[in-house]
This record gives sequence, C-alpha cells and structure tokens, in this order.
Amino acid sequence: MNQTLENPMKRAKRILAAMAALIVAAAMWLPCVHLFFARPASAFYVKEGLSLKARALAARHMQLWTDPQLRQKELDRMRVSNAEWDFMGRSYLVWALANMGLREPSSKPACLQTMDRIIDETQQLEQQKGIYFFLMPYAKERPYVVQPARSLFLDGEIALMLASRCVLEKKPEYEAALTGRVNLIVTGLRRSPHLALESYPDECWTFDHVVALAAIRMADYLDGRDHAVLSRDWVAMARSKLVHPVSGLLVSSFTIDGSPVIGPEGSSLWMVAHCLQLLDPGFARDQYDRARRQLGGSTLGFSYAREWPESWKGTADIDSGPIIPFLDISAGSSGMAFIGASAFGDAPFLAALNATIDFAGFPARKKDALKYCASNQVGDAALLYAATLGPIWDKVKEGWKP
Amino acid sequence: MNVNLRQRMVQNWRSDFFSPRGFLARALVISAFFLAVHLAGLRDYTSVLNGTVGSASAGWKTSAFFGLAYLLAYLAFVLLVPVLILAAGILTVWHRRPHQD
Repeated sequence: MNQTLENPMKRAKRILAAMAALIVAAAMWLPCVHLFFARPASAFYVKEGLSLKARALAARHMQLWTDPQLRQKELDRMRVSNAEWDFMGRSYLVWALANMGLREPSSKPACLQTMDRIIDETQQLEQQKGIYFFLMPYAKERPYVVQPARSLFLDGEIALMLASRCVLEKKPEYEAALTGRVNLIVTGLRRSPHLALESYPDECWTFDHVVALAAIRMADYLDGRDHAVLSRDWVAMARSKLVHPVSGLLVSSFTIDGSPVIGPEGSSLWMVAHCLQLLDPGFARDQYDRARRQLGGSTLGFSYAREWPESWKGTADIDSGPIIPFLDISAGSSGMAFIGASAFGDAPFLAALNATIDFAGFPARKKDALKYCASNQVGDAALLYAATLGPIWDKVKEGWKP
Repeated sequence: MNVNLRQRMVQNWRSDFFSPRGFLARALVISAFFLAVHLAGLRDYTSVLNGTVGSASAGWKTSAFFGLAYLLAYLAFVLLVPVLILAAGILTVWHRRPHQD
C-alpha cells in the first residue's frame, strides 16, 4: 500500500521538477534568441555607400533580370496571387536602383541598364496588354467612373520610375514620357472636384496619390515647372477628409468623391509617410510618429508592425498578408515598416525589424545574393528600396540640378 | 544504421519524457526533422506567409502544407530544442544535488 502511494507521489515530484526545469530554461532562452540575430541598423541601412545587405539583395535582383527563366518562375509565383506584385516589384526595383546609382557611382552603368530594361518592358506590356494586365481581376467587374479608364496606380508608379531614372541620368525619351504621364495626372486631379483619381473603379488609394505627387515633384525638379500649389491643395484635402479621426492616421482608400472606405493600414502607411517627405515634411513626420506608436510592436527584442491601429479593424487581404494571431503581426506592414524606419532615421526600430526578418524571414544566400524565402520578389525589392532610399529624395529636396 | 545505435535511440525515446534523457531524445528528433525538411527544400514554401505560393506548379494547398511544416519545424528547432537541452542540464544538476534527507 505504502509502495503504491509512494510511486505516484515520486512521479508527481519528478514531473513537477521537469516542468520547473522547462520553465526556467524557457525563461533563460527566449529573451536571448534575438541576440543571435541582433545587428546594428547599419547592417541594413547606411547613410553613404551601400550596406552589405543592400548589396546582397541587389545581387539577387540583378540575377533575376539577367536570367529570364529565373525571373519567369518568380513572376509566375507572384501572379498566381496578385498581378499587382509583378508591377510593384518592377517599381521598387527601379526606385532602388536609382538610389544605388547615386550612392555608388561605379554601379551607375549597370543600374541604368537594368532600369531601362524594366521601364521599357513595363511600358510595352501596359501598351500591348492594357491597364488590366497589372491589376487584380476585380478591376473589370465595373466601369471606371472617369472615362477613358486610367489607373493612378499605374500612372503614378510609372511616372516615379521615369522620374527616378531621369534624376539619376537624363534620357530625352523618358523625359517626354514622364511629361506625358505627369500632364495626364495633373489634368485628372484638377478636373476632379475632390482631387481624387481612381486606381480601380471608384477606388482611390492614398498610397497611389502620394506616389504620383512625389513623381510630379521630381518632374518639376527635372523640367523646371511648378506644381507646388497642386501638392499643397491635395495635402490640405487629405488633412481635412482622409485622416481617420481616432488614430490621426491617413486612411488607405476612398471613393472618387473623397469618402473614406478603408481605414489606416500599415501596408500602405509607411510608404505614404515616406512620399509625404517630399510634399509636406511636417505632416510626414506626424504620420510616421503616429504609425510607429500605433502600428509598431516589439516582443523579446524582435520588432514588427501591425496592419491596423487599435481604433480600426479591417480584414486580412492581399496587401496585409496573413495576420499572425495574438500579436496581430502583418507580413505586409512589417516589410513596409523598413521603408518608414529607414526614411525617418529610426535606427532602434530598423535594427529590431532587421533582427526579425533574419529570424523569421528565412534568408537564403547563394554566393553573394540574398533572398528572403518568406518574402517574394516585390517584398525583397521593397526591402532593397528601404536599404537604399535617400539620395534621390535629398537631391530633389535640395533642388540641385544636374 | 548500426543496430546498437538504433536500439539506444528507441530506448531513449521510450524513456520517461520528464527526464534529462527524455528531453534530449525529443531535442534530437526535432533537430533531425528540421534537418530533413530543410534539406528537402521546404524553406522556399514559407512564402505562403505573405500570400505567395511556393511554386506556381505546386498550387496553394501543397504550398501551405509544406510552408507550415517548415515553419513549425524551424520554430521548434530554434525555440524548443535549446529549451529542452537547457532543461535537461538543469534537471541533471537538480538530480545530482546532495539530498537533504
């Protein structure tokens, strides 16, 4: 009897001791994990020259644009989910290469060559296959309110590609194409009573507007025209109509009559704040600080970003990516947060984001090239842009003419 | 595989989970599983985390299955294995402490 009573007690004691050991071990290990991935922010972003990570990400993208099979495989993977990514991957890469060319003059010829190839192919595809080629299928479900149909998503990003290329080195053919796009955007915005242009039918995106306005600002820098009043008017409209009252953050999308549809979203806000740096630096800083407070998060030394602030609950979509429960981590917002952190010199946040992507982004290195398996080409191109941004914006802000 | 080694591994696996040997056996199995999925190239399928299929030919279901399998194996390897090894060490020290009675 004693024996049978003693054994279960002994066993219980042993189990308790083992559980305690597991808890103590977890308490020792988990707070240390980030130390294995911690690097200074300069591992990702440097003020001058190129960080090792930027170089490695760029090497992978250069491979993609010199190996047609590899690129097709990558594009096919992305287009299964979202045709927009094919387009945005091009945009971010061109914008990044323009900055790289300024950062490292010896890389300029290679950057220009790749940029031109991307720009030519993108314009050709848009011309041959129409605007719907780079849009999600729902764009065809109803007609655009403003006819003939144009998408500011395409016009704005192509204009910014052309402008970035011409800021790095002028090319008359592209300058003419840029002027054409800018004129279309400016005329469209001025005709709209609410300074809004559609990206999808009756769907206007703050992201696309600030990208387009940044492109206009760069075109002004290049051709000496002045659209400052239009920019000021648009920012004033955004401040009065597009700011979510509770969070103070800009909403993501709105209708052609300026009514907000989707509230603030991290997957677009970080880039919006960055583009606003060219249009209204004070407002840009305000948006970044708010986004940092309301969307940025940190656990056990790893930083990440949520898709929505507490005061706005959206549903996971193609932009946010799947949302990781409990912490509400969004892959889309976390990736784009790199752009915000680099643009606003937020070194602690950038370093902790960098630790997160090295921990949970599944880096894969082949020779000198780096890709993140948990990302895709557009995600890696956005990271490359985050690691290189600065020189183009600085040049335009300073108004220095080549 | 050597018969003795296999027998020893089976014996270790069957040993009480709440023992240093049990912890180490689980750590070893998790590590072996992670190594297997890593060498099988499932890392590429973690792109499902951002909504991209691992490969256009594999389709969504296969990509999600492989991607999640890799993710769980990786997290277990990086987070759980060191905890199990540390716990085995702590438990060994605990068992070797001089008895009070």
